[in-house]
Amino acid sequence: MNIQSEIKKADNGVNVAALMDAREALSAAPEAAQFTWRAQSQWMGGVHSRSIVTGFFGLGQEHAHKKPYELDADHPACFAAEDNGPTPVEIVLSALASCLSAGVASVAQHRGIQLRSVSAIIEGDMDIYGILGMDPDIRNGFSAIRVRFDIDADATQEEIEAVVSQSQKRSAVFDIVANPGTVNVTVA
Amino acid sequence: MKRTTTVIIGAGQSGIAMSYQLARSGVEHVVLERGQVANSWRKERWNSLRLLTPNWMNGLAGSDTDIRHPEGFTHVSTFIDRFDATVARNNSPVQQETTVLSVRPCTGGYQVQTDQGMIACNSVVMANGACALPKVPECSREIPGDIAQFTPLDYKCPSDVPGGDVLVVGASASGLQIAQELQCSGRDVTLAVGNHLRLPRRYRGADILAWMEAIGAFSVPHTDVDDLDRVRRTPSLSLIGSDKPQALDLNALQEIGVRITGRLSTMRDGKALFSGSLHNLCAAADQKLKRLLVSIDEWIAETAQTSVAAPEEQFVPTCVPDAPLLSMDLAVMKTRSIVWATGYSPDFSWLEMPVFDRKGGLIHIGGLVAPGLYAMGQPYLRSRKSTHIHGAAEDALALANHLTARLGHSVAA
Repeated sequence: MNIQSEIKKADNGVNVAALMDAREALSAAPEAAQFTWRAQSQWMGGVHSRSIVTGFFGLGQEHAHKKPYELDADHPACFAAEDNGPTPVEIVLSALASCLSAGVASVAQHRGIQLRSVSAIIEGDMDIYGILGMDPDIRNGFSAIRVRFDIDADATQEEIEAVVSQSQKRSAVFDIVANPGTVNVTVA
Repeated sequence: MKRTTTVIIGAGQSGIAMSYQLARSGVEHVVLERGQVANSWRKERWNSLRLLTPNWMNGLAGSDTDIRHPEGFTHVSTFIDRFDATVARNNSPVQQETTVLSVRPCTGGYQVQTDQGMIACNSVVMANGACALPKVPECSREIPGDIAQFTPLDYKCPSDVPGGDVLVVGASASGLQIAQELQCSGRDVTLAVGNHLRLPRRYRGADILAWMEAIGAFSVPHTDVDDLDRVRRTPSLSLIGSDKPQALDLNALQEIGVRITGRLSTMRDGKALFSGSLHNLCAAADQKLKRLLVSIDEWIAETAQTSVAAPEEQFVPTCVPDAPLLSMDLAVMKTRSIVWATGYSPDFSWLEMPVFDRKGGLIHIGGLVAPGLYAMGQPYLRSRKSTHIHGAAEDALALANHLTARLGHSVAA
């Protein structure tokens, strides 16, 4: 059994061939690889805000999503808020889980591994002494993030673990939460 | 066992100021000093250091009237000479080379155990300083062993620092001054910048500290402060003392070639990782600077001194690199040394009493720790002045009054 036939055999719904073609094409056009992602956010009152994602820039041009997507973020009753949506930090956890899952599907496809189910439980620990300004030695963000994947696939445990490792290596959100990045906030 | 009324721990500016006040009130006392008078100034400062406060802010125990150059900046060795002269003139009962091992309460006061024997007393004044221990982040333990590590307490001069690039962590007074000295000595310095203040040395024709004194910035009592914990954590004044007044800020350092980057957040896989929050920290320091200058301008206008003061001045915003360094591979980079200018903490490890908060900080109200137990020289002990040398006199007077009143009371009872 060669690799080619394995790729054909597995179908995780990821068009790996298209991604490989894109890689090929972008190697000759590095400027096309420059993407800018965007969200627009609107304060809804209290600690509730709504972000709208409509489009992004990449491959040298503007792109529109199929339709605008809305994401509400709020805070729960124990923060004396209305709970109109998940908290921003829960959205970060969701984003990390989504990014890693996308990676698992793509890497598995590329390696010819058929997935039957992929689920993840993600948790982030936080000491809110940080965000409440009660202790300067405690960071605002998560002190630890844990992700536990439960994957049913036509593969050995070792192969599945290797897929999960590779998905972290190539994950944008994993990099964003695990490594520093420059943030510049201005006022119009 | 020796007996005295009051034991003062530490013969620095606070200890000798308290000794001066107690002597005036006729309170028998001894000043215990682990080394020599002004020990930290002698042993735990770098060679080139000049006080960042002008002479008018450096009065010692009743000797603040004989300063000839009130606006000058004294070299630390001259300051130590003044210390010695003051102690000699006041005939302060300093017992040198005596280390306190423990202080515990007992009937009628306290037992002070030292390496020279036990002393029983009615009251204790802890004037042992706010900067006994360097606060070094935990990740310093992960720094490879071939990289030399310094703190401002053991850094002496550039020639002690191994050749190669230097990472200075912390951009308050010590970090800025050491970064400048090392860069000028020919090293390539990277400065990791956390929460910091920005101050000009001069503003509208006068020293910035003269304006701060004039507008009352140093005198707000601890009882009038909204968030005392926060003001007690305020970074040191980012200034330098020199013959010719010079501004020492991140712009000045970048002009001589220092590279600035964000707060050191951690070490991972041999790499130092820096936070991407540099823009915000610099913007916050610029905003605070502007608020201070506006309050000075307002004070000048209100007190009708416009004719005396020089015109208003603008300061260019802190220049922040577009893409500050986010990680530094210590194995690959030429960085051979790290200076941790990340703050200090006091050492009360010998105090055997439940007077500490959950993080080990001393709990006190304006220097009153427990009946007969006092602290001095801690940040914003009674006002912002408490941090500075001339603040010791005021604090000593207030606490000595409390101490003697209490003695009178216990004698009467």
